[in-house]
Amino acid sequence: MHKLFFSTGLLLAVMLFFTACGQNGDTTGPDLTLENVRLAFIHVGDTNDRGYTYRQHAGTVAMMNALGISEGQVLNFWNIAPGAAVTTSIEEAIEWGANMIFATSFGHGPFMHEAAQQFPDVHFFHATGNLAVEANLPNFHNYFGNMSQARFLSGIAAGLRTETNRLGFVAAWPNPEVITGYTAFFLGARSVNPEVQMYVMYLNAWNNPTVEGQLAQALIDLGADVLGQHADSPTTQTVAQANGVWSVGYNNDMSIEAPDAFLLAPMFAWEVYLIYAVRTFVEGGNVRTDVLYGLNEGMVVLSDLNPSTIAPGTAEAIAAAEARLRAGWNIFTGPLYGADGTQLLAPGVEWIEPLSAPSWNFIIEGITER
Amino acid sequence: MDTFINFFNAAVLAGTPLLFGTLGEILTEKSGNLNLGVEGMMFMGAFSGLASVFLLEAGLAMHLAPGLAVPVAVAFSFLAGALGAFIYSVLVVTLRTQQNVTGLALTMFGIGAGNFLGEFVGRRSEVGFLTISARARQGFAQIQLPLLSDIPVLGPLLFSYNVLVYLGILIAIFLAVFLKFTRAGLNLRAVGENPAAADAASIPVAKYKYAATCIGGGICGIGGMYIIMVTTSGIWVHNAVQGFGWISVALVIFATWSPARAVVGSLLFGALTITRFYLPLGIPMQIYDTLPYIATIFVLIVTSIRPTKEHAAPAHLGLNYFREDR
Repeated sequence: MHKLFFSTGLLLAVMLFFTACGQNGDTTGPDLTLENVRLAFIHVGDTNDRGYTYRQHAGTVAMMNALGISEGQVLNFWNIAPGAAVTTSIEEAIEWGANMIFATSFGHGPFMHEAAQQFPDVHFFHATGNLAVEANLPNFHNYFGNMSQARFLSGIAAGLRTETNRLGFVAAWPNPEVITGYTAFFLGARSVNPEVQMYVMYLNAWNNPTVEGQLAQALIDLGADVLGQHADSPTTQTVAQANGVWSVGYNNDMSIEAPDAFLLAPMFAWEVYLIYAVRTFVEGGNVRTDVLYGLNEGMVVLSDLNPSTIAPGTAEAIAAAEARLRAGWNIFTGPLYGADGTQLLAPGVEWIEPLSAPSWNFIIEGITER
Repeated sequence: MDTFINFFNAAVLAGTPLLFGTLGEILTEKSGNLNLGVEGMMFMGAFSGLASVFLLEAGLAMHLAPGLAVPVAVAFSFLAGALGAFIYSVLVVTLRTQQNVTGLALTMFGIGAGNFLGEFVGRRSEVGFLTISARARQGFAQIQLPLLSDIPVLGPLLFSYNVLVYLGILIAIFLAVFLKFTRAGLNLRAVGENPAAADAASIPVAKYKYAATCIGGGICGIGGMYIIMVTTSGIWVHNAVQGFGWISVALVIFATWSPARAVVGSLLFGALTITRFYLPLGIPMQIYDTLPYIATIFVLIVTSIRPTKEHAAPAHLGLNYFREDR
């Protein structure tokens, strides 16, 4: 009996000790500095994807270097699919003492929203999401890069490169973010090549290399000779390489994986927002609830053009279009028609996105969903 | 016609990892061991096959010739799968743990170990991710046979795949012959059907169980390596195997424990997984994605309506053998 009491007592003491270790003072306050602020990142994948999450983390590292944040101040959660794991990660991060929690995937949204209500002292930053404005909480923020601008520019390279005038697009989901992205890509190609048509196929996942490969092959079998992608892995590029066609990457210079196929890639530069948010937060300012940064702020960029694959004249065409975009030209300007000929946007009318997360959800003429 | 050829090619490529998984599991189950660890062994094989070529290239500071990269990858993925199956065998055959639980544990272990090691080694490599040279990758590209590949229709239909596809077919033929026409095959079937009788006939039951399970696991491992080397072109990607092991376990039932039917079954399942990309019928894509599973249910119903001895599971499948048990 003594032993039982003793071991129970010991267990309680140990638990108490660890609980005491886990205690943290007020997480916000005037004493917060760049030296003691704690950041947690919840990633949907991990850096081995060589794409989306790789790029997200590259942004974190660039922000840390720019602001002098040490490694001990950052906690990363990898491969957190939307679901209960998001909440667990948030709780772990708060236990660890996080002041700012970032989540990177659209599906993390509802969990971030719930946590923002539950933990008013911690600030939540959700990339690609659309819930913050409506939630209207002081500690819940959305941010995004205007990827359609970079996608438009990458589409120019595809439009100039194609010989069959058929593009293929490996798309993750039939959702507004993805549809906006490939529509911009297609419009970029159309702007330099009016003959061009595009097939789109969906993965129904952000990351499923096997299906990405099968789908890329199917698009090539349909006659596409330039592939674009909105999926997390470089498989589309390697399949293009194996088939001797061209490809436009996403979020990384994928010319290591596919030296003879890769043309260029539109990429996020997440550090632009991260630096703004962390600095503003530490200085006690209010981080804006919904932030959309584009080419002008440097939040979306292009990779280097691959000199061994790019069509002649591409760099000049991209530079000209980039100048227009930087001057404020909107890609989604009418006239735009649907696949059945209905007018989606009247001539001269602009589609203005209300939030940072895009909502364009229409298939335009020239694009075929398969 | 072109569409059909493309469709058939894609079906074969999609079905081959399933073929390896199914063949490995058929051999395993013939010994009476129900190893649910196929998914885990595939992950282990995937990592090991890729990492062996990667480490060899790094160690020798050269790009492996395609003719060397393939045997190295096959051998090491086989060893990794066999190692997973060996752990399973020690637990199940020697220590007589419950088979389902042990298999599930092997799946969890294999997925975790494969993903962790793949990313761990990748982070330390020069380029920051686990991959092999373009030269070594050539070994896993589709081959052009001198005369055969040029035959119209039949050439692209039958003689234009990567070497692993043919390896899979060879293993299927070998297993079919082994199980049906050899003494050892007969002994193995006896062990799976009635280990006590086999034991009485002085067949070393434990040895057969070990051997069949480990070799079967090795074949599953090759299937995992196929996914990494062919489907994702020799680049480690998180969760690359994604459920192929589980479909393989179902395919064993679909194939009614026959290697020849496994070829047909994996081709059919391969075709079902890519139908959506080649035959647009205007139905929601989620329905396409359920086709392989609907087919599984259908086959399970059909095979259970008319149970024949020839197509039944080994009688002692899933049960451990205690010599003293009466």
